[in-house]
Amino acid sequence: MKILLITEQRDAKWNKTSFETLAAAQQIAKDTGGALSGIVIGNGVAALADDLAGKDLAEVLLVEHDLLGAYTPDGFSLALAQVIQQTKPDLVLLPHTYQVRDFAPKLAASLGKGMIGDCTGYRYENGRLVFVRQMFQGKTAADVTFQGVGPWFATFQAGAFRGDHAAAHPSGKAPVKRIGVELSADKIRTKPLEMFREAKQAVDLTQAPIIVAVGRGIKAPENIAQAEKLAKLLGGELAASRPICDEGWLPMERQIGSSGQTVAPKLYLALGISGAIQHVVGMKGSRTIVAVNKDQNAPIFEIADYGIVGDIFEIMPALTEVLEKL
Amino acid sequence: MTAEREQLEADVLIVGAGPAGLACALHLSNLIHKHNESGAKPELSTENIYVLEKARELGAHQLSGAVMDPRGLRELVPDFEKAPPFDTPVGDDAAYFLTEKKSLKFPITPPPLENHGNYVVSVSKLTKWLGGLVEKTGVNLFTQFAGAQLIFNPEGEGIAGVITDDKGLDKNGKPKDNYTPGYELRAKVTVLAEGPRGSLTKQLGARCKIQGLNPQVYSLGIKELWEVPAGRIAPGWVAHTLGWPLPSSTYGGGWIYGLRDNRVSLGMAIGLEYQDPLFDPHEAFQRYKTHPFVGRILEGGKLVRYGAKTIPMGGWYSMPRPYVDGGLIIGDSAGFLNSQRLKGIHMGIKSGMLAAETIFDALRSDDISAHALAAFSEKVEQSWIKKELWPVRNFHQGFHNGLWAGLANTAVQMISGGRGFSDPARTRAGYEDYRKLNRERELVDQSTRFKGDGVLTFDRLTDVYHSGTRHEEDQPCHLVVLEPSICADRCVREYGNPCQYFCPAAVYEMVREKDAPKLKINASNCVHCKTCDIADPYQIIDWVPPEGGGGPNYEGM
Repeated sequence: MKILLITEQRDAKWNKTSFETLAAAQQIAKDTGGALSGIVIGNGVAALADDLAGKDLAEVLLVEHDLLGAYTPDGFSLALAQVIQQTKPDLVLLPHTYQVRDFAPKLAASLGKGMIGDCTGYRYENGRLVFVRQMFQGKTAADVTFQGVGPWFATFQAGAFRGDHAAAHPSGKAPVKRIGVELSADKIRTKPLEMFREAKQAVDLTQAPIIVAVGRGIKAPENIAQAEKLAKLLGGELAASRPICDEGWLPMERQIGSSGQTVAPKLYLALGISGAIQHVVGMKGSRTIVAVNKDQNAPIFEIADYGIVGDIFEIMPALTEVLEKL
Repeated sequence: MTAEREQLEADVLIVGAGPAGLACALHLSNLIHKHNESGAKPELSTENIYVLEKARELGAHQLSGAVMDPRGLRELVPDFEKAPPFDTPVGDDAAYFLTEKKSLKFPITPPPLENHGNYVVSVSKLTKWLGGLVEKTGVNLFTQFAGAQLIFNPEGEGIAGVITDDKGLDKNGKPKDNYTPGYELRAKVTVLAEGPRGSLTKQLGARCKIQGLNPQVYSLGIKELWEVPAGRIAPGWVAHTLGWPLPSSTYGGGWIYGLRDNRVSLGMAIGLEYQDPLFDPHEAFQRYKTHPFVGRILEGGKLVRYGAKTIPMGGWYSMPRPYVDGGLIIGDSAGFLNSQRLKGIHMGIKSGMLAAETIFDALRSDDISAHALAAFSEKVEQSWIKKELWPVRNFHQGFHNGLWAGLANTAVQMISGGRGFSDPARTRAGYEDYRKLNRERELVDQSTRFKGDGVLTFDRLTDVYHSGTRHEEDQPCHLVVLEPSICADRCVREYGNPCQYFCPAAVYEMVREKDAPKLKINASNCVHCKTCDIADPYQIIDWVPPEGGGGPNYEGM
C-alpha cells in the first residue's frame, strides 16, 4: 500500500498536528507493510522538507510554487491533485486542521473519491483498514471503511496520536524529491490578503471595580449611550440584564446573571433593572449596590444598599452632570 | 444550509427516554437476549437499538406528581422493589373539597383515587434508574440529542427515521464555529415516545390520518417540590383536592404528596379548556398555596424545585392510531393515561412493553409494514390497558359542562360500564373553548400581574429559576410563530394574547415597539411543557426542540 501524508505549515513553521498524523501514518505503513511518502507544500519550505526527511519515511516530496506561498483552497487542491495523479497513492492522510477542513473535501471530490474526516484511530483487520470516528458528541464511536479503489482520504483529529511518537529515520535521512506542479493565477479564485487577528474587545466584567448595568427600563437601544457615558465617567464597565442582550442591544458578553457573568464589583449601579432572581444571582455579591427603578416594589430594592425610586431618564443626566463637574 | 448529514442505520430508534421509551428499549433487549441465547435465527443485536433524549441527563425532563401504580414496572422489572428508585409507599390517602377558607374531607376516598399499594415516586429518579438498566443491555442511549424532524417514506405513509437537532447554529440560523449538522438516523421501526404533544408525533399527524375519534385534550400540571420542617407531613401521605381556587367551570384540582426527608410534592393540574383567555394557571396554583389546608404544611419551608408539563387527559376516544409503516406511538404521545385515576406511568411502561413485543415479531419476520405493526393495537386491546381505560372512556368529556355535571356523569359511568350520559361522548380541542374578548387593539396591562410574596408564593420568573432551566442563548428560537402578524393584529383584540397567561414560564410577552404591539419570545425560559403549542387559540405556535441538552433540570421531581 502506498501512503501519502500531507503536512501543514504556515510561514515555514510547522503545524504540530502534522507530526501526530505522521505518527499515525508510520503505524499504518508498518501494519500494512506499505511505503510512506510525506508532502511538504508551500513556497520557500525546503528547510521543512529537510526536517521531515529526518523522520521515518520512504521519501519526502517537496511541492513548491509561487502561487502556493499563501494558502488558497484552489491552489492547494489543484497542486495536490496533480501530485496524487503522479504518485498514485492508495491512502492519503491529513491532519484535521481548519485548513484541511477547507480544502480536503474539495480535493477528494475533484478526484471522485471519498473522505473520512476527523478520525480518532484506526484498526487493521483482515487486510482491511477500519477508521474510527466519534459521533453524538463523543458518546459513541463509529467504524468506517472505504469501498472501491483508492486513493482514499482520511484526516486525523488533533491529539488522536502523539507527535513525539513519530519515529526518526533509521539510517540518517529520507530522500527529498521535488515535484513540479503547474498552476496559473486565473485558476485561483480567492485572493489572500494580509493575515490578521480579529481584534476582540475582550471585556472582563469580573475584574471591573465599578459596573453600570441597564435593564428593561432603558426602553430603547438609542438610550444606552447615556448609561455608557455614565459608566465612563465613573471609570466602570457597562453591563446589562438578559432582555437587553437578548434584543442584541449589547453583546452577550456583557450580560450579568444566571445565563451570563457573575460579578462582585465594589459598586454596582442598577438602572431600570427589576431584580429578577436570574439577574440577582449574578451580582448579589457586589460590595455596594445602588438601584434606580420606577417601581418601588421592584425586588432589586431588597438587595440594594441604596435605592432611588425614580425615572432613570431623570437620574442618569443628573448624575452625569455632577460627575462632569468633578 | 444544506450540509450533508451523516447517516446511521438502526433496527429500532426510540425518540424519548421517559418511562415508555425506556420500557420499550429494556423489554426489547430482554427479548433479543433470550432469542439469541436460544440460538434462534436471525440473530438480533441490542446495539442496533438507539434511544434519543433531548435532556442534558437522563430524567432531567421528567416531571410528574407522582403516585405510581406499580403494575407496569412489576411486569418489566419483577424484582424492582429490591432496588427501589422510588420514594415511598402510599400510606394514608384522602380527597378534599376546598372552599376559600375551609377544607371538607370526602367521607370516603373515591375509589379511583384509592392508592393503597401504590408508590409516591419521583419520575425523574425512576427514569434515571431505568435508563441505567437499559444502558447495561448494550442499547445506544444518546442524551442531548432531540428528534428534530421525521424522515417520511418517499412512497405511501410511514416513517423511515429521524433527523436529530442541528447543533451550533446562531440566532439567525447561521453556523457557528461548533456547527454540527443533525444526524440522519434511519431505522426499520421508529418509536415515538416523546411525551405529551410530541413534536414529531405532531409532524406525523399533519401527514397521516392518525387522529382518534376525539382530538387529544390536555391539562397543564404545575408542580413545586418543597422542603418543610420535620413532622409537618408523613411520608406517603397523599391528598387530592377539588374546588378552590378553581371555579367549578374549570376542570382541575390539586395534589399534596408527602415524600421522604421532609419533602413535599404539590401542584395543580388544570384543564387547558377554560373559557377566560386571561386566566393564569400559574397564579391559580400560587393562590392554592395560600389556602390554610396547604399553607400550614408549607409554612417555614422552602421551595426546592419547580416544573410544568402537560398531561393528555382525553382517554380512550382521544388516542390516535398508534401505528404506521415503520412507526409506533407509545406513552403520553399516544395518550396512554387514565385521567380518572390521574395515572399514566404504569400505562406508559406497559405500552412500551407491548410495542417491544410487536417490534420483536416484526424484526424476526422482517415485516415492518403498518399491517404488521397493527399487532400493537391488538395487544393493547387484549391487555389490562383496555380493561382500565374502557370503563372511563367518557370520564373526561363529562366535565365539559363543569365540575358538578362531570361528577354526575362519573357516577352514571360507574354503574353503566363506562357509558355515562352519552357514548361515545365527543369533545373538541381545548383552545376552542376560549371566549372572545373583542377589545380595542391595546395591550392588557401586565403591571398588576401576580407577583407573590417571595416566601410562600412566587412570580413565574422566580419559579422558572427553580426549574434549573438552561438553554444555549445564541440559537434559533425554538418557538416558531407561523404568522406573527396575528398576535399583534387579531389576537390582541380577540383574546388579549393568552400566551402571556397560559405559559407557566413567562416565555411570551407582548411589548410595544414603535407604538405597535409586538410579540417578544423569551425562549430560554421554556420548560418544555408544550402548553403554547396546545393552548394557542390560532394554533400558530409550533414548539420544536431547541438544541439538545437545553431545557429544565427536574432532578428529584
